[in-house]
Amino acid sequence: MIIKIENLVKVYTTGSISLTALKGVNLEVKEGEFVAIMGSSGSGKSTLMNIIGCLDRATSGKYLLEGKDINEFDDDGLADIRNRKIGFVFQSYNLLPKMDAVRNVELPLFYGKVSAEDRIARSKEALKRVGLEDRMYHKPPEMSGGQKQRVAIARALVNNPSLILADEPTGNLDTASGDEIMGIFQKLNDEGVTIVMVTHEPEIAACTKRNIIFRDGNIISDVAVKDRVIIGG
Amino acid sequence: MYIFEILNSALQNIKANKLRSFLTMLGIIIGISSVITIASIGGAIKEYVTGEFAGMGTNVINLQVDTTESIGKRDYFTLEDAELIKEKVPEVTAVVPMAEGFGTVELQDKTKMASVAALNQHYVEIYDMDLAAGRFINEHDVETKKYVAVIDELTADKFFSNSDAAIGQRFKVNINGNYSDMTVIGVMKSQGILASFGENVPAQVYIPITIYDQVLGNENISHVSVLVSDMTKADEISSKIIRIIENKHNNTDKYTASQGFAALDMVNNVLDMLTAALSAIAAISLVVGGIGVMNIMLVSVTERTREIGIRKAVGAKTNDIRIQFLSESVILCLIGGGIGIIFGFLICKIIGYTMDVSVPVSIATVAIAFIFSSAVGIFFGLYPASKAAKMDPIEALRHE
Repeated sequence: MIIKIENLVKVYTTGSISLTALKGVNLEVKEGEFVAIMGSSGSGKSTLMNIIGCLDRATSGKYLLEGKDINEFDDDGLADIRNRKIGFVFQSYNLLPKMDAVRNVELPLFYGKVSAEDRIARSKEALKRVGLEDRMYHKPPEMSGGQKQRVAIARALVNNPSLILADEPTGNLDTASGDEIMGIFQKLNDEGVTIVMVTHEPEIAACTKRNIIFRDGNIISDVAVKDRVIIGG
Repeated sequence: MYIFEILNSALQNIKANKLRSFLTMLGIIIGISSVITIASIGGAIKEYVTGEFAGMGTNVINLQVDTTESIGKRDYFTLEDAELIKEKVPEVTAVVPMAEGFGTVELQDKTKMASVAALNQHYVEIYDMDLAAGRFINEHDVETKKYVAVIDELTADKFFSNSDAAIGQRFKVNINGNYSDMTVIGVMKSQGILASFGENVPAQVYIPITIYDQVLGNENISHVSVLVSDMTKADEISSKIIRIIENKHNNTDKYTASQGFAALDMVNNVLDMLTAALSAIAAISLVVGGIGVMNIMLVSVTERTREIGIRKAVGAKTNDIRIQFLSESVILCLIGGGIGIIFGFLICKIIGYTMDVSVPVSIATVAIAFIFSSAVGIFFGLYPASKAAKMDPIEALRHE
């Protein structure tokens, strides 16, 4: 079991107003799964993603990542988990614009205190896995959206994380580039990488193996995908 | 290894904003170069003054009539006092009584302000004197009350065209309308900084002490310098001499004694304080420069909020971010400090060249400047770096 969430509650408090974003969520994700989390904005899916990604903490409830209780870690401990266990892919890529692809991808390894030599080798390897071997020394402003997102996926992969979290990874892309990205995710999933993805596009969700629908801070539907769309298949 | 890469990435960021980085450094450059310049000039002045004082014997006790007291004619030193001191205090190797007057020296239509000092042949044992021509006053001149004089080089040049030509020539000394005819027996070299003032410096004239009452009119022997063999007993010898003179004159509390090197110490203390005070003022500009660094680092942190979010998301710990921004401000200050050191060095060289003196920049000054600029970098970089380090990753990632 990679993710085990029990009765997770998240309350945001601003002054005297408090807002309950998650109302006792229960969720399990096994190794090798490919999950799409859907729901309208404000449904709590992004809050859940932040907590799963160890960027935020729950108000109450339990979150076990690979059996480890996340509540027991301090901020630097969470940074370490993000570094070793989780790879992030964001809607807006979140690459460092002044660094070329190799240096962007090696960033997690840098904070993981990997030697420079190893970092470059692994970074190039990850870029090959997403098909960007001919764009290694380009900087993000010189790349297309699809290429930037592939760099971001390479960065998420480079540390061999237990889990890749993708937040609307195709949201800024045209259909062709979006399909390309989904093809890469499917390939990685076939190779055994566990992926949890937030999306509001049903066609994107149809490429995954399991669809979870959120509404008002709770899961209202959790089904396996029948007739899964295989990109290039 | 890791720190080297952090420094390298900080350097890249400084390079990416060249103009801004340079303007920020400017404050540090000005601060460091002014501290170096002032500290070095202070050091040079001190060295110069010490050099000047080194020309004066340090094995000296100077006795003076304390003019803050009410002093009568009978309280002033006499030539007999000088003999008495020599006789009664075995540690004393030489006694130089001195009387000074101020007036003019004249030769036909040429006139010059002059300071006239009456003294004896032992004066040269206490104070360095380089002669350009002739000889100094000797024992014979003193005993036979000769109307002879040693004058300074500038006056010799003005009156007699050159030093050698001056020897054996006669001129007049006028102290308050009291004229005396003097014969030049020696010309001393004009020294150090006085020489550069040229014409405006009064003539310096030395005459035998035994004719002071004829030449200087109403002036008195207000000063006696005593050369001693053993300076460790200076206090003891001073009080012994004062007691002898008090007994003779039948008075009390009219005389003060100071030691040659004590005066040097005092001057050095004053110079040190002056240098420290001026350096402190220069250091204020360094603080202003530091505030500039803090300001630009805060701007940089805000601009790079998203970058901070990305770095945190991929695993940067609080300290990683702190060190990253701190190293940027420290590098900024160190580069500024380095340029400031070079500038300070150049300014010192230029000053030294134009004033024709040596203004050496000491290693200690450079080291202090270097330590100071990194301290400024750390101090003023710490707050922005901590602000960056404490950012919430989710907020930072949302930042546009």
